[in-house]
Amino acid sequence: MEKVLTARIGKKDSRSIDTYLADGGYAGVKRVLTGGMTPEQVIEEVKKANVRGRGGAGFSAGVKWSFLPKDTKGKPIYLLCNADESEPGTFKDRLLMENDPHQLIEGMILASYAIKCRNAYIYIRGEFYDGARILDKALEEAHAKGYLGEKILGSGFSLDITVHRGAGAYICGEETGLIESIEGKRGQPRIKPPFPAVSGAFAAPTIVNNVETLCCVKHVIDRGAEWFLKIGRNEKNAGPKLYCISGHVNRPGVYEAAMGLPLKDLIFGADYAQGMKGGKKIKAVIPGGASAPMLTAADIDDCPLDFDGVAAKGSMLGSAAIVVINEDACIVDVAKNLSKFFSHESCGQCTPCREGTPWLYKVLTRIEAGEGRMEDIDLLSRICNQMANGMTICVFADAAIAPPLSSVTKFRAEYEHHVTHKRCMVGARAGELVTA
Amino acid sequence: MSSTPNTPSTAPPPPAPPPKDTFTVSFDGKAIEVPKNVNLIDAAKLAGVDIPHFCYHPRLSVVGQCRMCLVEIEGMPKIQAACTVPLKDGLSVKTTTEKVRSARAATMEFLLINHPLDCPICDQAGECALQDNSFGYGNQLSRFDETKRQYPTFDRTMIGPHVVADMTRCIQCTRCIRFTQEIAGTSELTFLDRGGRTLVWTHDGQPLANDWSGCAADVCPVGALTTREFRFRSRVWYLQKTPSVCPGCNVGCNVSIESKDGVVYRFLPRLNPPVNDYWLCDYGRFLSEPLNDRDVLKATVREGSAVRETTVPAAVDRIAREIRSTLGGKGPGAAFFLGSAHLSNEENFLLRKIADHVGSSNRDAIVDRSRPRRIKSKTVWVEGDHAGANFRGAKDMGLFPGAGGHGLDAVLAGKASPEVIVIADAAFSAIADDPEKVAALRRARFLAVAARNANALTRAADVVLPAASLAEKEGTFTNVQGRVQKFDRAFLPKPPIRAAWEHLLLLALALGFGDRSWTPHDLLRQIAAEVPDYAGIKEEELEGGRLLKKGDFAWAGRP
Amino acid sequence: MEAGEARKFPPEALARIEKILARYPTRQAALLPVLWVAQETWGWISKEAGEEVARVLGLPPSNVDGVLTFYTMYNLRPVGKHLLQVCTSISCHLNGAESLLERCGKRLGIGLEETTKDGKFTLVEVECIAGCDRAPSMMVNDQYFEPMDAGKLDALLDRLSREA
Repeated sequence: MEKVLTARIGKKDSRSIDTYLADGGYAGVKRVLTGGMTPEQVIEEVKKANVRGRGGAGFSAGVKWSFLPKDTKGKPIYLLCNADESEPGTFKDRLLMENDPHQLIEGMILASYAIKCRNAYIYIRGEFYDGARILDKALEEAHAKGYLGEKILGSGFSLDITVHRGAGAYICGEETGLIESIEGKRGQPRIKPPFPAVSGAFAAPTIVNNVETLCCVKHVIDRGAEWFLKIGRNEKNAGPKLYCISGHVNRPGVYEAAMGLPLKDLIFGADYAQGMKGGKKIKAVIPGGASAPMLTAADIDDCPLDFDGVAAKGSMLGSAAIVVINEDACIVDVAKNLSKFFSHESCGQCTPCREGTPWLYKVLTRIEAGEGRMEDIDLLSRICNQMANGMTICVFADAAIAPPLSSVTKFRAEYEHHVTHKRCMVGARAGELVTA
Repeated sequence: MSSTPNTPSTAPPPPAPPPKDTFTVSFDGKAIEVPKNVNLIDAAKLAGVDIPHFCYHPRLSVVGQCRMCLVEIEGMPKIQAACTVPLKDGLSVKTTTEKVRSARAATMEFLLINHPLDCPICDQAGECALQDNSFGYGNQLSRFDETKRQYPTFDRTMIGPHVVADMTRCIQCTRCIRFTQEIAGTSELTFLDRGGRTLVWTHDGQPLANDWSGCAADVCPVGALTTREFRFRSRVWYLQKTPSVCPGCNVGCNVSIESKDGVVYRFLPRLNPPVNDYWLCDYGRFLSEPLNDRDVLKATVREGSAVRETTVPAAVDRIAREIRSTLGGKGPGAAFFLGSAHLSNEENFLLRKIADHVGSSNRDAIVDRSRPRRIKSKTVWVEGDHAGANFRGAKDMGLFPGAGGHGLDAVLAGKASPEVIVIADAAFSAIADDPEKVAALRRARFLAVAARNANALTRAADVVLPAASLAEKEGTFTNVQGRVQKFDRAFLPKPPIRAAWEHLLLLALALGFGDRSWTPHDLLRQIAAEVPDYAGIKEEELEGGRLLKKGDFAWAGRP
Repeated sequence: MEAGEARKFPPEALARIEKILARYPTRQAALLPVLWVAQETWGWISKEAGEEVARVLGLPPSNVDGVLTFYTMYNLRPVGKHLLQVCTSISCHLNGAESLLERCGKRLGIGLEETTKDGKFTLVEVECIAGCDRAPSMMVNDQYFEPMDAGKLDALLDRLSREA
């Protein structure tokens, strides 16, 4: 498949608007705004293309946009670009923003036009200092050339985009946590309903879309929904997709492919991660970021990396962050590391998550250190099962339970070894620092 | 489809039913009608169904954080926090399924894993939602075997002038935070940090010091916030609850006098939405303590420079004799009767009746102005600035100069010189401790007062009668809204202490009118019959219209 | 700047804040950006700095405290010239992050959250910073250094130590 989202990455001056324009950038905006398409037509095209959210939820962006009320009763509509990319194993949005900022900006202009948004924000995580600087510069360039501001290109459509920097909180990637944070508060997710499309930022109808999703919007408008739908395994899982692969592979990185790239290809393919470092065997793969249930080496066969394909394996594509774990790693240690992450990132407002995530971490720490009992293994599952499925305000808890629950189910022997032998089955700790 | 008759029907179509102003909601199969604007948790209460909760409070915003109120809603696959479910017609709620049972047990387990085993030393025991819900819905055994998280530097620490914090007990329900933001409007409290380390605290240098800080301890469902004044003083299950009215100002917040063995341990607010709603200001709340103060224990009579103890009947007789003899010689204008904003309607009424009986137009009541005080009644403020609860009532009962009569001002200014002065409450004003003003009153030949505590006035008086406190009598007050509110008696005063109305009744009898059997209830009936604005008042319709048993009415801290 | 010193935003910062306020419908919404301005102005956000932010935005100080302490990147204590942020999330963990962290601590003689006596380095652990394909990844102030290894770490610390 020819590169779409990453086509311009690596090009000289890829960030500048001049090279972007020379590559045909903003042609879509020009065409649409000068009478080419109505906002409703843009929504329809995106809906038709079935652009599923690439932030983790996989919800159709076009369908989300159509939830906006026809009559907003005088309230403005907000577009918030979710550039909070904090799911462990994910680094694709960073790549897009740092190297091809105008692609995102164009996607945002088209989306804002479609949903009739006048003021859009890019919520970018605080750690992306460079990304924020690059976006600020690109926004200035776009403004100077008339693609932002009042009455863009002489049309009736005006738009301003503001870069809003976060300050270190994974939960602000949850759409209502993001909204709370944009409102200047602690990023504590909200009760839904009401859904953001009805009442979101500043009590106004709000759409939150991921960076990669908005970049897809630009390409759908440029080349049409039909073209988009032809890419990938089927129309339910279509379009170009960025895959992040890291862990114990030879060539970790961001790889673009048609939706549905086989997991095995991504790990072993010559065009992709080129197999396991040191020729080691795979022990486990996390297919969709820390929130995705783990897969065993056997599971990776026949696993197309799209929403339905990974779901069929009992996991999720999520943010398409594939973390490959080799035979020398200790699964209990991996689960412990992931549970530490979740206990650090829990916002703390609701009981099961606030109390459950540290509890999981404490039990896993004890088991990993050889101080566990056999009952503790089932205790982990029981704690997980009473944290999910409606027990909490948001699905952070459902994410947090994925590593312990899936690893206890699929790698029970390692847990039992820690309990009975009081040490790790594989002996070594996960990953030594390269000294060369 | 039904077959239609060949001939058209001659009957008019039935009228459309009027739109309902209630919703039909069913709980576990039992349908009831509920008002449209209540929270589902309150609707359940109307159906007699208890949905356990911590963070929900009828007067604070809904946050759905504690996850205790989880229920099953027909048509929704996952359990839902009942407080967040919008009420609608036909809603069907299930609270007795296994899913609900285990959700409640799960939430309780999570809340208890880090909760300290403080019950033996925690004031909240006995009125603790965590204890109650654990007993009702939690597991017996704990599966937690780790180190509990603690906040040692935030335990046993004052978070404000009245509230003690033991933050290790906190269950992060945010009721206290929302109280300071939404009711007090002062926003002292906030969450700090996040996740399992989330802590409720103040900004350094800005303690929890608003006028209603005690209410933060009320809304706290556990013992994380408690009042310093009550700390360790009594287990709550020993306390008798008596409905009463705060004596602090003319707003007349409803309180519960919490007492044991004749000692008042605390006030708690008593729910009354149009007056004080769920709240009570700190000034009023901590007037509970002074109710226990008393240094006038016996009736006394001055003889020359000596003061002699006597019996109440003898003292009252003496007052009656002085009134009769003076008025016999000088006429009714020689007597002056002063009531008080601290006395009940019944007491002020009886005093006025005595003045009427002896034909004196010299009757009055005053109240000191205080700084403005206010309390939130739902979304509006009720305000008052009297340093006494019943000035309005005192005036309504007729304690102002009649035709040709004089009031207190005239006496203090030296423009009037009554020979006999009867002051039914020696604490009627700060004037009673002002030597100059007391000297003006002392110009009377005979000065009689009823008092609980000694002051310059009691030390100057000829006769002092030992008076009961608010806790030791029943009656009514009329507040700034013109609302007549009843207060009950928590315990009998220890003889020879009597309520002012008892002293006045003895005086009336000694002066030749009244009936020995009269009680404040009888006096209220007379008020209803004789005072135009109070016509038709029936005691049964007033707040606290009967002597209630402990826990028999809405305790404001735990709706 | 020392703890306990009163803070007033300098004119340039106030000018930036005015521009920021123009981009949001409420003053509360400007809180995160204004806290960044405060951190850029003073290096860390003391109690007094938080109060100045509260004053400028018209917010209760407790409100500012709540936001300040929720997010990890606002420094609540003074930090060294070089804030070393070592990621220890899963991909970096699998690729030697713990050893990297240990090496850092050993070389500088400090533990986590501590600052060297000369005020040059503060060492903290952070969660995933999206450098997973260049693990182990770390940041120094606003710059990424990735992938790290023992040699690169030693060279980096040497270079930074030599800086004035």
